[in-house]
Amino acid sequence: MFDHLKKTLVTAALVGVSAGIMSTTVHAADPYEPYKGTTLVVNFPAHPHYDAVMKVIPKFTEETGIKVEVDQLQYLAMRQKQSLELTKPRGDYDLLAYVVFSKADYVPAGQLEPLAPFFMNPKLADPNYDPEDLITGYMQNIGVAGGKKGYLPGPTGALYGVPFGSETSVLGYRKDIFEKHNLKVPETYDELLELVCKIPELEPGMGGLTSRGASGHQVSHAFLLHLAPLGGSVYDDQWNPIVNNEAGVKAGEALKKILECGPEGGTSFGFAEMKNAFLQGNAAMFLDSTVVAGEVDDPEKSKIVGKVGWAMHPEGVRRGSQTGGFGIGIPSNAQNKEAAFLLLQWLTSKRVDKMIALEGGNPSRFSTHEDPDVNAKYPHMKTFAEALKYADPDWRPIIPTWGEVNNELGTTLSKALTGDMSVKEALDIVAERARAIQEKAGYYTWQQ
Amino acid sequence: MKPTRFLNRATPYLFLAPAGIILLFALLYPIGYLTMASFFDWRMGTPFADAVFYGFKNYAWILNDPNFHESFMVTITFASTVVVLEMVIGVGLALMLERPIRGMSVFRTIFILPMMIAPIVVGLVWRYMYNPQFGIFNKTLKKWGFEPIPWLSSPDWALPSVIIADIWQWTPFIFILSLAALQSLPRSSLEAARIDGASEWQQIIYIKIPLMMPVLVVAALLRMIDAFKVLEVIFIMTNGGPGLSTEIMSLQIYKTAFVSWELGRAAALSNILLVIVLVITLTMFLYTKARDARMARIQAAVEQY
Repeated sequence: MFDHLKKTLVTAALVGVSAGIMSTTVHAADPYEPYKGTTLVVNFPAHPHYDAVMKVIPKFTEETGIKVEVDQLQYLAMRQKQSLELTKPRGDYDLLAYVVFSKADYVPAGQLEPLAPFFMNPKLADPNYDPEDLITGYMQNIGVAGGKKGYLPGPTGALYGVPFGSETSVLGYRKDIFEKHNLKVPETYDELLELVCKIPELEPGMGGLTSRGASGHQVSHAFLLHLAPLGGSVYDDQWNPIVNNEAGVKAGEALKKILECGPEGGTSFGFAEMKNAFLQGNAAMFLDSTVVAGEVDDPEKSKIVGKVGWAMHPEGVRRGSQTGGFGIGIPSNAQNKEAAFLLLQWLTSKRVDKMIALEGGNPSRFSTHEDPDVNAKYPHMKTFAEALKYADPDWRPIIPTWGEVNNELGTTLSKALTGDMSVKEALDIVAERARAIQEKAGYYTWQQ
Repeated sequence: MKPTRFLNRATPYLFLAPAGIILLFALLYPIGYLTMASFFDWRMGTPFADAVFYGFKNYAWILNDPNFHESFMVTITFASTVVVLEMVIGVGLALMLERPIRGMSVFRTIFILPMMIAPIVVGLVWRYMYNPQFGIFNKTLKKWGFEPIPWLSSPDWALPSVIIADIWQWTPFIFILSLAALQSLPRSSLEAARIDGASEWQQIIYIKIPLMMPVLVVAALLRMIDAFKVLEVIFIMTNGGPGLSTEIMSLQIYKTAFVSWELGRAAALSNILLVIVLVITLTMFLYTKARDARMARIQAAVEQY
């Protein structure tokens, strides 16, 4: 009898104690607790967005107890280092930022971890993350792979990364110059192209629109920027090169005109020179990545503080602004994948996205673009939010052969822009080579 | 065979063995690997095990590639121009600065500085100097009322611009070697020439230059090999552009491997460059050997006489 009572009491006590333990676990859960003391090794580019990120990283360690070691590299050099890292059996990086077109190499090689298992893990996924708020065009361009044409989203696609430091294109213009000569901010390509050569006449010594023009990737980027809105594309859906069609030639001619009427030396400009020409007051307009907005009003870097207005990327036959920049993903050979996911989630959460935006980074969320504090500090955010609606994930193909096609396009088109051949001749050569490259890579296997 | 005799015969080989083994691994192994890779379709970022055997297709692609033809011509133009100009300027300066003039040691030190600067820095410095907006050259030209020159942005100017930078950096190398050669010339020959009434100019043409020749050939050879391999300065200054006007072969190899990710084709291109450099080196080597033999014959004839 006593025995029985004793047993019951002991059992009840045990149940009570364990229930108590369980309830404390539930209430005071710290999802970061199991990873406290872990050191994550992260690879980020040297880029204005990531300079802003560096300022909030210590806060992550403070809040979670997870340490972060950042390896910051020049963005064009990052790809080589990552290739080496990702092919090792055990990688050094737990989280890495990748340039958007690396998606085409890393995903087919199985080097990036699919993110669904993490988002399905209740211990890791924050229910308040609000993925709907992440900018659609960026998610499609940077995060998702496996849909239409392989690199676009669609029912067969899956998520491999989250946009972080992504960019679209906007038009920046000198309010003072436009007011002085009573000029209208161009809304279409016709208006833009008329204006680019008019400005040097009105303001001697000043270029119309600053543009990249250096041989290779730079000139290719500048061309593609105009190709999408003018209705062109490098390949059609069957991978036939159509870069030399009417729209392609029009985009090439547009770029030629822009460079001719742009600041001196445009055909040697990379992104930095192109941007500096605008910041130094040598060009009246800027049409490229949003990332420059952070520097325009920095008196240390800019001579045009307070003089710049922002507008949408002009419309051609359609609207289409670039999508690019970086995403963050977890390498398949990472050693601390779960903690890395927690960092990824933290960095792209609403709260931190805003923190980074206030430090001068590029927000990845719609809500940050609408945020009153962010808009008070950066009034251009509203225009950018508008531009993001037209962010085109297909403005350039994100395929494994892109590096080679891009190089071909960039060098051959450069010859046309410096007068060695006509735009049409150059694009014909590019189309022929682009076909040979696709053929070698097996893109015509299914063509009858 | 007695052990001592065997040891005597084997000793030289034993001493050579470490160097031989190092050479084997440091030279033959990479070249062998390179040659093997050049027969494969191998993409960067994939293991070599996944590469597909490709036969001579990489070589065929390259030889049919108009970009390669252009790049080949750019390389030859670049290398020959810089070597000739650096030799002329370097030797000329050495002849001028050979005599003891006050303050010359300071000048010599300043003069060899460019050679000691890292190529990346040289590239950046020149790129800034050529900058159309704030570069020193165009600023000065504009100040003096001249038209600015599109240094790096025009296909006609880009190659001369990078050649100027290379001359600036590497003439000191020729200068130092020539100066050393000049200072070690046998004084007796020069004095004999002077006593015989040879003018300064005649001394240079008939005595100094011929006596310096072995050193000059080696200097030219080293510069030639280097000029074929130059990468960083041009990579930073123009990245091969505009068009392909400054795309030397080493840059094309770099781009094939690290932009197009075609490791197999890059390996084939490297092999082609290796063959070109080898042919040039061997030609110069054989030429000097023939010349030395001729000199030796003359020497022998003189002694007999």
